[in-house]
Amino acid sequence: MDENLAYFFYDLVTYLLNGLTQGSIYALIALGYTMVYGIIKLINFAHGEFYMIGAFIGFFAITSGVPFLVALPLAMLGAGLLAVIVEKIVYRPIRDAGRIPALITALGTSLFFQYFGQQTIGADPKAFPQAIAVKTYQFGEIYISNIQLIIFGSTIILMCFLWWLVGYTKTGKAMRATSFDKNAAELMGINTDKIISFTFFVGAAFAGAAGVLVGLYYNTVEPMMGLIPGLKAFVAAVLGGIGIIPGAVLGGLVLGVAENLVVGFWVSTYRDAIAFGILIVILLFKPAGILGTNRKEKV
Amino acid sequence: MSETTNSPILKTDAITMRFGGLVAVNRFSMELGSNDLVGVIGPNGAGKTTIFNMITGHYEPTEGNIFLADNNINGLRPAFITQNGIARTFQNIRLFKDLSVLDNIRLAAHYTVDYGLLANVFRTKKYHQEEERVKNEAIELLKIFGLENKQQHLAKNLPYGEQRRLEIARALATKPKVLLLDEPAAGMNPKETKDLTELIRWVRDKFQIAVLLIEHDMKLVMEVCERIYVVDHGELIAHGGPKDIQNNPKVIEAYLGTSDTEAEA
Amino acid sequence: MDYFIFLAQLSGIFIILAVSLNLINGICGQFSLGHAGFWAVGAYTGAAFTVFLNLPVPGFVNLLLSCGASFIAASIAGLIIGVPCLRLRGDYLAIATLGFGEIIRIIIMNMESVGGPRGFTGIPKLANIGWVYLWVAITVIFVANLLRGSHGRAIISIREDEIAAESMGIYTFKYKTLAFVIGAGFAGVAGTLYAHTQEFLAPTGFTFMWSVIILLMVILGGLGSITGSIVGAIILTVLPELLRFFGQTVSEWRMVIYSLLLICLMLARPGGIFGKHEFNILKFLRLDKKENA
Repeated sequence: MDENLAYFFYDLVTYLLNGLTQGSIYALIALGYTMVYGIIKLINFAHGEFYMIGAFIGFFAITSGVPFLVALPLAMLGAGLLAVIVEKIVYRPIRDAGRIPALITALGTSLFFQYFGQQTIGADPKAFPQAIAVKTYQFGEIYISNIQLIIFGSTIILMCFLWWLVGYTKTGKAMRATSFDKNAAELMGINTDKIISFTFFVGAAFAGAAGVLVGLYYNTVEPMMGLIPGLKAFVAAVLGGIGIIPGAVLGGLVLGVAENLVVGFWVSTYRDAIAFGILIVILLFKPAGILGTNRKEKV
Repeated sequence: MSETTNSPILKTDAITMRFGGLVAVNRFSMELGSNDLVGVIGPNGAGKTTIFNMITGHYEPTEGNIFLADNNINGLRPAFITQNGIARTFQNIRLFKDLSVLDNIRLAAHYTVDYGLLANVFRTKKYHQEEERVKNEAIELLKIFGLENKQQHLAKNLPYGEQRRLEIARALATKPKVLLLDEPAAGMNPKETKDLTELIRWVRDKFQIAVLLIEHDMKLVMEVCERIYVVDHGELIAHGGPKDIQNNPKVIEAYLGTSDTEAEA
Repeated sequence: MDYFIFLAQLSGIFIILAVSLNLINGICGQFSLGHAGFWAVGAYTGAAFTVFLNLPVPGFVNLLLSCGASFIAASIAGLIIGVPCLRLRGDYLAIATLGFGEIIRIIIMNMESVGGPRGFTGIPKLANIGWVYLWVAITVIFVANLLRGSHGRAIISIREDEIAAESMGIYTFKYKTLAFVIGAGFAGVAGTLYAHTQEFLAPTGFTFMWSVIILLMVILGGLGSITGSIVGAIILTVLPELLRFFGQTVSEWRMVIYSLLLICLMLARPGGIFGKHEFNILKFLRLDKKENA
């Protein structure tokens, strides 16, 4: 094989692997976005903050000696419970006030957590403890780390769990019913408030897991870390078709890979612009997303 | 009014609307003379409002063409269709609720206003002249509809019947050749419906326009319309004068299975 | 004294930003989260105009020309962003404008000629408090007069009911774009004034955060109310400075206070301040009556 071509191939595979790792993280966060949007049509701007909070719970847990396999569920639980509280205090009273007030409330909640975090924990990045020793496996010129494999593995397990939860349990059925028609679901005896709380819990728990995994992968955590991944996860959700669960996964992976390919082969300074560029293109040409169907507005 | 139509002002030529796999309206053809008063009736979900939405440009027909005085208006934006002479009201009144009665009417005259953005901002002589004209015309119209004393009221504070009237007045302020009324009697009591019947007839005569209305209230349609188109499941099943329609077995069949229509009628 | 002038200048610049965003968000009802992007376009265009062209004319002429240049540049940016995005509604529009705002900032960061991430230095101090408030007056009068005419009413009707507006023969897309372009243009002027009072620009000064803060000013005052935007802009410019007098701690927590304020405001009067905003409309009516008298 031509040497240049071989290196191109190695680069390509490395970028793809990095892209899939990052994409898995986006996908985990995007799932929460999409579920919450699907059920109450709210763009939960604060969703990225649950990812940050999950990362910090993981950080404090592991720093104080809790093993990783305990810290991960702990972070999920913590982020999830906090989301339930936020939903109860902030989003529930505003649910019927229209979408724009709700969106602004979500923005406010997001800012609150960011700056509250900066004030209490400090704005400077913290080094995430090396809970698992990094091992790198080499195949030719292609490198893959055990952390990456853990991220893939956790993502796949969590997604299978969600797939089972939404598709094959009574709660899942109630979630689908609520998102399809909240009033009708209520008339059928479904406690929609409870279902909405539960949706927030699951979504935030997934984001919390993503936070811990990212801490493990990049080794730093800071209070502002949720902002950009949160926005990008939203892009991923829109890309796949907001409200559609497999769409969020697909969107996350596509976005992660696209970003890494562009950064790898072209320029890195435009990294953050790619996601927004993709967002705008998708909004303009297929606002319903890759897996969505366009709907006409009712007159 | 003569039975035969004068030259058609509005004509739909086999218009079809599909939403995904669902055919909401199938090859619907109709003609409306320039001073006709015609009704479209049919059970719930028959596709009546979809026909209106196609005529007014809110939906583009999947197939077929719509002609306004021989001009194909297919695919034009609703705003331009209104400017070309088709005005409408909505099934669930869509006034500018938080604006004054006067502003509701003035907005309908917006496209006739003949001054530019800069004239607006610098409030030139032309601006003052045009504002004066638009305001006077609006007040004239409000007088006709008995709403001149309420011009500074917010539209949402009017009683229901007056909101319906204001919506018709607003549609007329766009100076239409064709007026489409989407279930104007919805939510009205028999007395109000009777007044409305007279109002519709009077509007047609006074403004010399064509009126096309969708209605559930059979009595109103039979009383006021010269011709009636009956649609069911998106298909035109009958067409003729009120008498023919009342005795048409197809129409009776279409209505018999639908108790909700009976209840509303 | 200098400190008060500084604060007054800054308030003035934010009044222009808030009033211009209000035209888009409050009056036309198009939810934009990209205002800082237009501000940045204007600031960099205006600064580049005076620094690079360095026309041999008196300072104030140069300033006025650069205000004009930035108005045009930001309007064009508004047009480029508005035409595709304004087909979107509600939260989708918000996200798309947010995306564009961030893209603008990232592009500026990558432009070495204007200092890239290090910032744009050496901008002459051509503007002063007088110029700032001249432009405040121009902006406010422009928007207020606009609302008293048919074009302004058309813009308001879009907020009230877009479908009904379209059915009344109002080409809503044109008026949405118009509101967006004018709003962007004035944000651009605010940018130039900012550049020529601060003498320094950094891309980090135009993040999405600032779009949110400008929006907060508009909401605090009441969406759709021009006087509200003015009050909102002054409060949110002066408040963080006032908080300084309450000591280091309060000042440091000001963003937390901001966000709590935003949440409480929404929880307390989501309907009152949004959508059906009673008192703004009354204000419009009062304006109308004065005109009729």
